[in-house]
Amino acid sequence: MKKDVIIRFVGSAGDGLVSIGILFSKILKKHNFNILGFRSYQSVIRGGYNTYQIRASNSKVLSVGEEADIIFLLNKNVAKIHKPTKGSNAMVIYDNDSFDLEDLDYPEDIKKLPIPLAAITKEISKLRILKNIVGFGAISQILGLDETLIKEVIFEQFGSKGEEVIFTNNEALEKGIKYAEDNNWPELWEKHKYEKAQQMIISGNEALALGMLSAGLKFYSGYPMTPATSIVHYLTKYLPKLGIIVKQTEDEIAAIGMAVGASYCGARAATGTSGGGFSLMTEIIGMAGIEEIPLVVINSQRAGPSTGMATKTEQADLFQVYGASQGEFPKVIIAPYDVEDAFNVGIEALEIAEKYQVVVIVLMDLYLSESNSTVRKLDLQRKNKRFEILNNPPEDFKRYQFSENGISPRTIPGTKNGMFFTGSSERNEEGTSLASTLAGLPDTLPIRVKMVEKRMKKLDYLIQELEKPKLEGPENAEITIVSWGSTINIVREAVLHLKEEGITANHLHLKYLNPFHEEVVTKILQKAKTTLCVEQNFTGQLRDYIRMKTGVNIEYKLLRWDGEPIVTSQIVAKVKEVVKSE
Amino acid sequence: MSKEFNLTIKDYESGFFPTWCPGCGNFSQWRAIRQALVELEIPKEEVVLVSGIGCSSHMPNFLDVYGLQTVHGRGIPAATGIRLANPELTVIVYAGDGDIYGIGGNHFLHACRRNVDIITIVSNNFVYGLTTGQASATTPVGTFTRTTPRGSIENPINPLTVAISAGATFVARGFSGDLKHLAQVLKEAIDHRGFAYVDVFSPCITFNKNQTFDYFRERVYRLEETEHDKEDYFSALDLSNQRFVKDKLPIGIFYQIEHKTTYEERDFSLNQGIIPAHAPLDLTEEQIETITEEFY
Repeated sequence: MKKDVIIRFVGSAGDGLVSIGILFSKILKKHNFNILGFRSYQSVIRGGYNTYQIRASNSKVLSVGEEADIIFLLNKNVAKIHKPTKGSNAMVIYDNDSFDLEDLDYPEDIKKLPIPLAAITKEISKLRILKNIVGFGAISQILGLDETLIKEVIFEQFGSKGEEVIFTNNEALEKGIKYAEDNNWPELWEKHKYEKAQQMIISGNEALALGMLSAGLKFYSGYPMTPATSIVHYLTKYLPKLGIIVKQTEDEIAAIGMAVGASYCGARAATGTSGGGFSLMTEIIGMAGIEEIPLVVINSQRAGPSTGMATKTEQADLFQVYGASQGEFPKVIIAPYDVEDAFNVGIEALEIAEKYQVVVIVLMDLYLSESNSTVRKLDLQRKNKRFEILNNPPEDFKRYQFSENGISPRTIPGTKNGMFFTGSSERNEEGTSLASTLAGLPDTLPIRVKMVEKRMKKLDYLIQELEKPKLEGPENAEITIVSWGSTINIVREAVLHLKEEGITANHLHLKYLNPFHEEVVTKILQKAKTTLCVEQNFTGQLRDYIRMKTGVNIEYKLLRWDGEPIVTSQIVAKVKEVVKSE
Repeated sequence: MSKEFNLTIKDYESGFFPTWCPGCGNFSQWRAIRQALVELEIPKEEVVLVSGIGCSSHMPNFLDVYGLQTVHGRGIPAATGIRLANPELTVIVYAGDGDIYGIGGNHFLHACRRNVDIITIVSNNFVYGLTTGQASATTPVGTFTRTTPRGSIENPINPLTVAISAGATFVARGFSGDLKHLAQVLKEAIDHRGFAYVDVFSPCITFNKNQTFDYFRERVYRLEETEHDKEDYFSALDLSNQRFVKDKLPIGIFYQIEHKTTYEERDFSLNQGIIPAHAPLDLTEEQIETITEEFY
């Protein structure tokens, strides 16, 4: 039987929604469900009108979904703001000791499930947090979950806090289950035996960090900026054990400056920020580019411009990263598409950076960075190797020696006879600056020309290594949907819905944005009956980018820039409209 | 040094002769840095000289060590990253007043408090030289430059006072016209445990007709020849504040304390003796278990 449920927790910033959401996700994960969870929040520390939405399914979860089946209200003020949409028949669980739903103006068809959380909790302990566990018990009764498995999760989460904590939590759980039973709460699914799962539940940022760690990340620097900060939070947790450097800096310029320094010195290094911090980093991106210092820069996009909407998602930095820094130099841009892919990109980015001695920009977005998703057990055990680093440089060592693929041998400080100068100015093969006394001289003009070519041709070699974009779905579909970044699975879900409605759509998702598979993309798009680009921005940046790179004009666009992730029904509606008009 | 050290000052030259104007104050610093390195017997491959942009920042071109020139003002962050990635290296930032006190001022401030064991030498000529003579952060008020044709209306910063207040553990000043003294100060700066900072009066003979060699020769005096106690925070602060007050300019070590722990000593990875630049890339099974446990 297909099981698919959407549970929404509604509360304020101080209610610990993320912990509640993750804990309940872990309970569902224990029952072998696939999960996707996403928090909608504002830039305040206390208060705020937040939701944490979980979708659980026994098949792959492609989006957090739209209307919730079960809503757990933790706070009346917030409940007023986040109302179920008209026509919703959601089950709404709320603490009737604290508030009622009378003046909330909720749709008539909802199923009210009051539960006296305050009274029940009081019988156990003074801890307010236990209310949530009582609520979990009640929800688990609706879902027919296995009490033993939930208790295992409680043990795993709170085991280190002592027996007393476990005991009170278990009691709260039991009371929640019993209350739902006694009051004949609806049962969505029948009870049955679940097989235990080996999946992980992890956010996009954490997966990216894990990927980088498994590829030998040794240095990470950053300045706090949502939604990239959680990478630093994660990495610092395990510092003494990992033996890496994680550095919070005075600004993003210092963050990228330090990462470049560490990388120049031989440590695999990365830095991360969001659009505003990325703006500050751009000058040094160019420096790393001309100095051919490997570097990974993560930009987790949020709604701009400027401070924009700090806690909301957007995909509007494509042109900012493509154009980052003056002049021309090879710049790799990779946009991971889901949580597991973020892990893979973490590995790939560090490897490409070191192998090609280039800047790799990882273009995340808030929706991906902050989505918590179940993924297969990620394999962190790797046999990493180093690229192009000489321990015993030959006598005629030239740091910027011209070569077939543009990659030159490299030494790192501390290496005997490997000394070289590198600067942010143009140079010759030895590294000597051409900027001061040598610029524009008849002898140096050809060197400048060859240096630019040497750097740029790395991309020609790199592209051969990168997986080509593939068209998903039937080749002769009525419409081809094009997307990038975190929307991939939402589009996939829309394609499935469309199929049910008798409309065939296929899907081209782009991960490697620079270098770009121009020929492949051109071929696919030229064959398409009609085309639609789905993006989280106002201008349709990918669409413009594709036209620039291929000359192909994508006919239709579905754009969203209110800060919330695009939803499946929007895409379905747009495709229907397009197909009808064609 | 266990191995015999037989390098000379000449050996630290890159073979690219400096492009500064003949008579530039940077020349004696070029010499003093090499002299300090030789006297301290630091092998060339263990030195990284990091600079920014400006006349003085061309320096790494002219030395046979690892040389990294960054963009304007960003030498300190790069040097910090280098040092943290490999604390066995001697990492020196060399740049001008426009670079360190102007565009890179924020990094300077934080380097002082952070106490990473790097050396920052500022060739201070009170003017932007490479862009042909504009006012800098240290240009005295009233000075006529190409951007202040009616005289500068901003007060200059007092970088030594800033450094001492911000927590630097070694704060000194040198003068390009006193090579012997400068080499000694740089030697002590390099030898210092923690962030060492040296401001160097380095006349720009082309764009600064005020702070000339003669100007300084008439005013400087060596602190080592006075009763100054370099471990006394308040007298160091006081001394640094007298810059243009008494028409006497002290050079030498204003402030130095050795008891403060360095960043490296406090860092949770580095204090285990790990050298990130050389550490194995692969995670151990134990590490994998530790860092993934929370996801189950």
